[in-house]
Amino acid sequence: MATIIINGTEHTLPEGEKLNAIQAAKLFGHEIPYYCWHPALSVVANCRMCEIEVGSKDPKTGEIKMVPKLVPGCQTPAKDGTVLVTDSEKVSVHQKMIMEYLLINHPLDCPVCDQAGQCGLQDYSYEYGQAAHRFVEERIVNPRKDVSDAIQLNQDRCIMCTRCVRFTREITGSGELNVINRGNHAEIDIFPGQPLDNPLAGNVVDLCPVGALLDKDFLHKQRFWFLSKHDSICTRCSTGCNIAAEENRGQLWRFRARYNPKVNDYWICDEGRSSYKSANEPNLLSAMFARGVAGGGLTQVGVEQATTLAREGLQRMAREGGAIAGILSPFLTVEEAYVMSAYLKGISSSAVLALGPIPSMGSDQTFTPDKIAGRNGDTSFLVPRPFTIHAEKCPNRMGVEAILSHFQGEVIDYAAISARVASGEFRALFVASDAIDPAYMEDDAAKLRRSDFLVVMDTTVTPLARLADVVLAGATFAEKAGSYVNFQGRLQYSEAALPPRDGSLPDLDLLAILSGKGTAPIHSRTILAEVATVVPAFSIVTEGKVPEFGVIIGGTPEPATVGAFPYTDPWLTPRGDHPTESGPNGRKQP
Amino acid sequence: MAAFEPVLSRNWNVPDSHTLPVYESRGGYKASRKALTEMDPDKVVQVVKDSELRGRGGAGFPTGLKWSFLPKDRTQTFMCVNGDESEPATFNNRLLIERDPHQFIEGILIACFATKAATAYVYLRFEYIHAFRIMERAIADAREKGHLGKDIYGSGFDLEVYCHRGAGAYICGEETGLIESLEGKRGWPRIKPPFPAIEGAFRKPTVVNNVETLACVPHIIERGADWFKSIGTPKSYGPKLYCISGHVNKQVCVELPLGVTTNQLIEEHAGGVWKGRKAKAAVPGGISMGLLSAAEFDVPLDFEEIRKPGCLGLGTAAVTVMDETTSMVDYLYNSCRFFAHESCGQCTPCREGTGWLYKMMKRIKAGGGRLEDLDIMDNLAKNMGIMPGTTICGLADGAAWPVRNALAKFRGEIEDYIKTHQAPRYQVTPLQQAIAHGQSPVGSDTPMPDPTRRLPGPDLSTRATAHA
Repeated sequence: MATIIINGTEHTLPEGEKLNAIQAAKLFGHEIPYYCWHPALSVVANCRMCEIEVGSKDPKTGEIKMVPKLVPGCQTPAKDGTVLVTDSEKVSVHQKMIMEYLLINHPLDCPVCDQAGQCGLQDYSYEYGQAAHRFVEERIVNPRKDVSDAIQLNQDRCIMCTRCVRFTREITGSGELNVINRGNHAEIDIFPGQPLDNPLAGNVVDLCPVGALLDKDFLHKQRFWFLSKHDSICTRCSTGCNIAAEENRGQLWRFRARYNPKVNDYWICDEGRSSYKSANEPNLLSAMFARGVAGGGLTQVGVEQATTLAREGLQRMAREGGAIAGILSPFLTVEEAYVMSAYLKGISSSAVLALGPIPSMGSDQTFTPDKIAGRNGDTSFLVPRPFTIHAEKCPNRMGVEAILSHFQGEVIDYAAISARVASGEFRALFVASDAIDPAYMEDDAAKLRRSDFLVVMDTTVTPLARLADVVLAGATFAEKAGSYVNFQGRLQYSEAALPPRDGSLPDLDLLAILSGKGTAPIHSRTILAEVATVVPAFSIVTEGKVPEFGVIIGGTPEPATVGAFPYTDPWLTPRGDHPTESGPNGRKQP
Repeated sequence: MAAFEPVLSRNWNVPDSHTLPVYESRGGYKASRKALTEMDPDKVVQVVKDSELRGRGGAGFPTGLKWSFLPKDRTQTFMCVNGDESEPATFNNRLLIERDPHQFIEGILIACFATKAATAYVYLRFEYIHAFRIMERAIADAREKGHLGKDIYGSGFDLEVYCHRGAGAYICGEETGLIESLEGKRGWPRIKPPFPAIEGAFRKPTVVNNVETLACVPHIIERGADWFKSIGTPKSYGPKLYCISGHVNKQVCVELPLGVTTNQLIEEHAGGVWKGRKAKAAVPGGISMGLLSAAEFDVPLDFEEIRKPGCLGLGTAAVTVMDETTSMVDYLYNSCRFFAHESCGQCTPCREGTGWLYKMMKRIKAGGGRLEDLDIMDNLAKNMGIMPGTTICGLADGAAWPVRNALAKFRGEIEDYIKTHQAPRYQVTPLQQAIAHGQSPVGSDTPMPDPTRRLPGPDLSTRATAHA
């Protein structure tokens, strides 16, 4: 059993993880400040902020020998007998010195800096810096520049940690960023005419510990401390990246990557990052509509009337012996798919359930960082993990398929159901659309209209909605909570980031009203708990709780993940959340 | 001393010494033939170890020991020869390459045989165009005569030597900076571990040796370790090329046994201090090694003794003499400017510290100095470098040492300069002063509000009165 001594206290190290001093100290509640270190990038030890006193304990004699000089914690392996001192006078004098150095040429423009409030310089200045500054010379003002159409570099704020440079070299392998000039004139830059435009480029903004790299999309829009963060799942492709959806005043402002070593590691793609915009669209459905209430066309109706019309219409068709079909979008959550399937099967046990069209674009794009190739410095702590942007542009095909298989033993794809509807087989059709981009264009819509009674649940005014008998305004991805099953078969839980828009209801509530479960808001966790007891594939989920990094459904064992040590940059961790008290990462378990 | 016979520089004054026939006619490539045909690699390493040859590049690390750090089960090894020679006032490698390239190639050949390296890269300073051309020619000639290439001397050992020119950065003389630069990257030193012997150029085990170190190797093989150890002082054996420059009558590079004194160099080899003046100070081994005052000129210049007067080390043994008219402020200004210009910008203390020192010296020189600046400089200098453990490479130590030595040995003079050179234009303004001290500006009657809790940092309540 490996033990480590931190500030005089012995701790037992976890088995099988290769940790450095920063991680080990964090695990046992001691903070070692750092800037340039990142667990996915090679160790270069150039910021020198994490320097501590290191020693080793002789296993036989118990004698402790300290290294006479300071040692960077990022490069120090936490092994049996390692002794770390993180709070000595020597260390704190050093930290003050580094803070003084870093602030020499740093403009104090915090009031207009996007990073303010989640800034490594601010936090560490307060905790480890000093109030006075001895520098009285002329400062260097490095220029501001654009590194791409989407990202701005305020070089005057840069502290040269080179995280962004290492990211483009080691993770994306594209190497757009580099360092030019020497000494305190050193700058981050791109090569002439070659902007930073790889599909993961936005991550450099998340990586930057200060406000040097800025997302122009977010620039000067919001103060960080006004944003409430919601642990969500990106719905732009079947990867199911973990994101923090940041919201204020009923609007989403940005997505940031949230760590999940089993899915997206520390990254999200730019497409996913910018997908928050579709939740803020002004033309989202703002009311329910029904046909034939007053005159021939679609008329705006209340929620109660719309749901009543839909329910009665479907029931009438079933009573009259007509065939009923439902088309479930792969954008639905597991809970919604379950309630909708149960509802339609409840109306008519012969109801046919099918999967909606699977949007697809291009081909899968995988970034496979290597442990050695393309890297610099010490790579011994690294556990490289690939990141894939999938061509399948929907979050929950696997989940909806699992539900459909349970209810009718097979999955009917869209081509089959579309042909059957077009042939006039069904008298009633319930389509849950919910896609971000309209899933059914005019041709598809015309085919689906061949049923006598058409109910559509959607978020925007689509061609299909225009032809429907009843239009239910459902929730966008940001407005609903629920679980998705990603390409690995991993069930992940996504919080709602926004309240329902005026005139709409979350899909789950709409379906609950249709099923006659009453009008009280229904919690997705309650449904998930029910799914777990009813559908064997989901039986691994207990009490509606999904573990932090998700869980593989269908009985497949979880693959072992090495080096999946919880990680958030300290300047992004909410202050006061002690790393060991509320679970790893300082985040409450869902 | 009289019996000392130069070996490294023995061919320098022979006509056409850079050509292969001349070198061969003077006994060249005998040692390499002996090593490759009669000895095995481990034997060569052992002989070099026994000779206690220490690296001539600056740090003085034992060469044989360095070679023995290579992993036993390695499949590929690279030899990098450090010919970057960017330390100011150092020019011995240049002479070694330009005047006797084949001695150097023979050294490479033996060292590569000992370390089982089939490829050697000679990293030459950008400015050494002439040396580069001579090396290219010498390599081609040696290859033609079978001293390089495949199956050298029928021993089954292959070696290719390539010359690579740097791009003019001082930092690329640091061994890992050199490796990065050789790989085509920015010359930023790497953190250690992994050491180059385990993971160096192209992530393969690599040996980095100085030109002069390798030039010693053929002679050690030819004459034996005991001969080598008969020269020099304890722990510093062998001949050394001393470069003497600055305020002397004759700027020369001479080969002498390790352990001569500065006085001997000036008087016996450099023709004394110029213009009949007296010496005031000397840089013992390249600017980064610190400063010797005239009173310390009888300290032997070897790897050990030189540390006693507070210098960083022997360095490149390039002695720069300053006469009595030289201002130490000018010396410090030049030294700080050099390191601020050459800092690679990787580690925070060096990147910002060298720039800060330079700006401070610039202000002092212009007439805006304060006495407290010297304390700040001393404090900065003591906290940067690999000695306190705050940087990756030794450049910051090199930047700090001149400051530390000059302040320790010539502080009085610098203080006098500050007191007598005051120009209002360059002085620190009351506002800057106030910000620096964390107190309200002079003349303002609004006191700074007391913080509700003591802010992190030094206790300012005592400071405010000290500078009031």
